[in-house]
Amino acid sequence: MEFSQHDPNLKLNRPGEPEFELYTIPSHSSWFRWDDIHETERIALKDFFDGSSISRTPKIYKEYRDFIINKYREEPSRRLTFTQIRKSLVGDVSLLHKVFNFLDKWGLINFGAASDDSKDLLEDKKLKNRIRVEEGAPIGVRAVAMPNSLKPITIPPFGVNGRAVVGETGVKLPPLASYSDIFAGLAELKRLKCANCGERCKSGCYEYSKDNYRVCVKCFKNCNYEENKSMDNFKYNDCTGNGITHGAAWTEAETLLLLESVTKHGDDWELVAQNVKTKNKLDCISKLIELPFGEFMMGSAHRGSSTGPTESMNSIKQGLSVSSEHQEITQTGDQVDEHMNESEQNGDAANQEPLAKRKRIASLSDAGSSLVKQVSRISTMVGPHITAVAADAAVTALCDEISCPREIFDGDDDYLTDESWSPTMLYESERAHQIDASEMKEKPSESETKETSTKKNDIPLTLKIRAATATALGSAAANAKLLADQEGREIEQLVAAIIEAQLQKLHCKIKHFDDLELIMDKEYAEMLDLKECIVEQRIDALQKAFIAGVSKWRV
Amino acid sequence: MKLPATSSFKAPVKFRIRPTADNLVPIRLDIENEGQRYKDAFTWNPSDPDSEVVVFAKKTVRDLKLPPQFTTQIAQSIQNQLTEFRSYEGQDMYTAEKIVPIKLDLRVNHTLIRDQFLWDLNNYDSDPEEFARTFCKDLAIDDPEVGPAVAFAIREQLYEIAIQSVASAREIKISKKGRRGAEHMSASKAGGNALDLMKLFRFNSSVVRKRKEWEVYEPFVDILSNEEVDVLEAREERNTR
Repeated sequence: MEFSQHDPNLKLNRPGEPEFELYTIPSHSSWFRWDDIHETERIALKDFFDGSSISRTPKIYKEYRDFIINKYREEPSRRLTFTQIRKSLVGDVSLLHKVFNFLDKWGLINFGAASDDSKDLLEDKKLKNRIRVEEGAPIGVRAVAMPNSLKPITIPPFGVNGRAVVGETGVKLPPLASYSDIFAGLAELKRLKCANCGERCKSGCYEYSKDNYRVCVKCFKNCNYEENKSMDNFKYNDCTGNGITHGAAWTEAETLLLLESVTKHGDDWELVAQNVKTKNKLDCISKLIELPFGEFMMGSAHRGSSTGPTESMNSIKQGLSVSSEHQEITQTGDQVDEHMNESEQNGDAANQEPLAKRKRIASLSDAGSSLVKQVSRISTMVGPHITAVAADAAVTALCDEISCPREIFDGDDDYLTDESWSPTMLYESERAHQIDASEMKEKPSESETKETSTKKNDIPLTLKIRAATATALGSAAANAKLLADQEGREIEQLVAAIIEAQLQKLHCKIKHFDDLELIMDKEYAEMLDLKECIVEQRIDALQKAFIAGVSKWRV
Repeated sequence: MKLPATSSFKAPVKFRIRPTADNLVPIRLDIENEGQRYKDAFTWNPSDPDSEVVVFAKKTVRDLKLPPQFTTQIAQSIQNQLTEFRSYEGQDMYTAEKIVPIKLDLRVNHTLIRDQFLWDLNNYDSDPEEFARTFCKDLAIDDPEVGPAVAFAIREQLYEIAIQSVASAREIKISKKGRRGAEHMSASKAGGNALDLMKLFRFNSSVVRKRKEWEVYEPFVDILSNEEVDVLEAREERNTR
């Protein structure tokens, strides 16, 4: 075996000696000497040094080590893998692996190599430049399957080869039946139990409004509950939509309480749980996370309310309106258009702002959320671009026809600098928080608080409804837009890749044709030569024939 | 049952299915019932209680939606193999330092693997699973079923060798050569596969293989198309019948 002459030590280049190639190793490995075995190696790989067997001697160790390092240095930029060297070395593969790991850990090999992500080994089967596809929606955007549920769905993983690129293996197997056995038990515990008959309330239950008493639909119908509770006091609670809520459904009042207490107490979950009396700490936390703005609420509660509790209250209510849209189902007909129109205002504003924008509305009513729900359901059924366009059109229409809400929605423009179109004093944007314009905040906060209280009484019910639905639509539109943008970008990238591949193909073909042409030219030249030869031969033959006097010789 | 054998002391070692941390039994199942065929291969921890076998069989039948007759057959097959393994337990097994060649020749879904390397039976730190993991990682194999299959193949071969060594140890005992002689013979007799360490690791020979031998010991991985898979499967069926 050849021993290389390269000096493996870092930063050493003795003058007067021939120019060595610098081999970089980390400084914590500077004990390494090419010609010797260091104590570190002896300790870490003691199998070789305790004289226990013929196949493990220091000499053999040194051979392994030198070979591996040399092999790596043949091409320092690529990452040497164990499989590449084990074919060339005689010995137990586990032991070799140990040596390899040791060298790798100390940085004696693979120190300058690329990371594991760029594996080049079986590349003929895979594209060289994989396009990294991000799985799922961008940060801050939540795509929900149905307006009813709060469960976010993820885009099914897809990659260039039809396989997920980011961090997943290629095979997706369906969940096994035994999975549900083991894990269904856990889910079962969280379901509601009827207080009367003890059965699980699968589809819906009736909750007594005064305390935590729940009966299933069957028992309710049969009036099988305690005598001192009258039928009117029971409220129907639909459990199906809240798959994740632990053991109970969150009514609107509870959610409102939760949001209030979170803004007041921030992270102090004990107090929050106390305020929301019917839910325990974990439920509160999980519910808060599920809410669309829940996480941001938790964050911003810390940021201090220089804007005062009233504003946060109203922002809570806004959050509530959005959530209430998910929870309730009612039927309303043709006011959809109006609401769609309204959403344009919010759509624009929302598109320009970060998603965790909070809009403040004076107060809400429950009936309005139904439309929002319908609209959001429709918007999920069609593509995101369509929704965005529809929202645009709707809003412009609305702006034209109704002036009163416009007055309300328009307001002091001066205190929001970044937006080209400012929402009204009814809207408090997150950016207002983030812009450290404290003086601006204080001014609007005062004016806001004042005007809110006055406006509270002035704004009629329908406008409140509209405002609520508008904001909800706006956020949906923003979501959709972002998703659409992302898809657009992905498509661009893919198309670019395709075009490049095509170009390369063409390039190859052209080259091929050039080569062919060269060959053809040569062959043509040869043919000409051959032709001349033949012609000469013919002439010779004819001459000889004439000389010989053959008259009628046909050629 | 498991003696920690210090390497210098070549006393007969009790049977270990694989000289590594966990003593696992490779189980291979091939059950045919009313036209449905269930083939599987996995490792089992023999220290698990036997009740686990039935539970496992039931789960498998349910997960794969097999007809219920399979449950008993699967459980029986596993039990048989376990009992066979346990019969070897406690037997003496001579493991001098033994480096054996392990050959891989298996097909997992669409991946075809052929490989050859050396394995030391006496190395109690060796781990087929880790080897399989490195194997898959280095060769960028995406199919998650390949790793376990490779580990299983290695274990199976080690198991066979271990059984052979037990058998030969018995023979040696019977032939009454005495302890010292037995040890000497074990190196050459017990397991004809063992490489002659003296020759390989001689002082003046190199541990690095000649280049022309590199291809023999290099892993060969091939991804098959669907048609090739069908062809191979049909051939395997014919062979096993």
